Amino acid sequence: MAFSDVDQFVKSSARLTEMAELKSLLCDAAEALGFNYVALVHHIHFTTPEAAARSVQVVDYPEAWHAVVAERGYFTDDPVLAACQRSAAAFLWSDLPKLLPMTARQTEILETAATCGLAEGFTVPVNVPGEFLGSCSFGLATGRNLAHQALPAAQYIGCFAFEAARRIQELKRLHDCAPRAQPVPRLTQRQFDCIVLAAQGRSDWHIGQLLGIASDTVHQHIETAKRRFGVASRTELVVRALFDSQITFGDILR
Amino acid sequence: MLHVVTGADRNHFATPLAQMHRDRKSVFIDRLGWRLPVTDGEFEIDQFDSDAAVYLLATDDQGTHTGSLRLLPTVGPHLLSEVFSDLCDAGVPRGSDIWEITRLCTAPNLADPRSTRQALLLGVVEYALLAGIRRYTCVTHVPYLNAVLAVGWNCAPLGLPREDAGVTVGAIAIDMTPETLSLVRGRTGQTASVLNWDNRRAA
Repeated sequence: MAFSDVDQFVKSSARLTEMAELKSLLCDAAEALGFNYVALVHHIHFTTPEAAARSVQVVDYPEAWHAVVAERGYFTDDPVLAACQRSAAAFLWSDLPKLLPMTARQTEILETAATCGLAEGFTVPVNVPGEFLGSCSFGLATGRNLAHQALPAAQYIGCFAFEAARRIQELKRLHDCAPRAQPVPRLTQRQFDCIVLAAQGRSDWHIGQLLGIASDTVHQHIETAKRRFGVASRTELVVRALFDSQITFGDILR
Repeated sequence: MLHVVTGADRNHFATPLAQMHRDRKSVFIDRLGWRLPVTDGEFEIDQFDSDAAVYLLATDDQGTHTGSLRLLPTVGPHLLSEVFSDLCDAGVPRGSDIWEITRLCTAPNLADPRSTRQALLLGVVEYALLAGIRRYTCVTHVPYLNAVLAVGWNCAPLGLPREDAGVTVGAIAIDMTPETLSLVRGRTGQTASVLNWDNRRAA
């Protein structure tokens, strides 16, 4: 794909007002880049229709794959989404074992994807401070060859498509007069330190010794973080912070 | 407070400017690992930190540097023209109404870097309108691109990105219009000007 095509995509996507139009434009761009499938998503697992309405989900993947993901609950440990928590840089799915220690289930997910026709892919992580992580993934059908020279253009298509989707989502929200998405609470550095150590199973006293602060102070940091996230227990706090990618498994298990 | 520091004002801002160069070393070299030269073991200063550069310099109540960015006229040598010209498909955009943004940083260990980043964002748009700048160019790491695009202003890529020292970098242009200021003020809930031009009130 030449730069003029990327430029045209940026200009066209900036004018769109409907997600369906963006999907069609993005599918054409994916094909021009040499890919067969595309998914532009916020990494959020919907618990409520409101949450779904606030997030970007533009997906054109094989039908067989959708069915398997829903049936086996692959969302929560999808290695592509896990890698986005660790890497701000775009990556090929075949490089995933270099980016994260793959669990047996994550290896299974990649193998299953290949049997569903998704053999290889290229994912562009998208990080807007204060919002849920997102990404744009381009998928390659089994048996097709990857066009390496198209990857720089794919990165720009992914980034600008995501911004177009955010903008369309915002237009829709204004149109529906829906409440604005609550910003994700951010952890302070000290809260982060305390939660990571708590997730490793350490006591307030032990955390205080490691950080050089009083155990009461450790308790306060964790209580403040629990209030910000609206959760009642430390376990919930750890899970929630992991889910939002504010701490990663790598932080805890290092 | 956000100061406009031109080549003629440097002596009024010697202390926060030195802190800026020290913070730039901490952020760009120590934290982000950019391969840049270090001056006197503690400052990040390059060939574009010349008299032509205009800094937007944020300080706290004590006059200490909390964040800054560097603006360079594109009619002279700047990062895009001298180092990254291959990132521009149709040549490096140059003109008296086009300036380049580089070295955006906030001081390490700030309690609230967001408010400083917000002031710098408002300041860069205000400065454009006051100085007759219609377009900014900048070189950005692609992982940071969406944070820039999410402001909602009009951004255009100048060419395809490429690998540079392990990260992907690209060049973009950002249009500045009076509507850009309304947009940014609306998003940040800010109505008053953030720029301080009175150099006697420096640190």
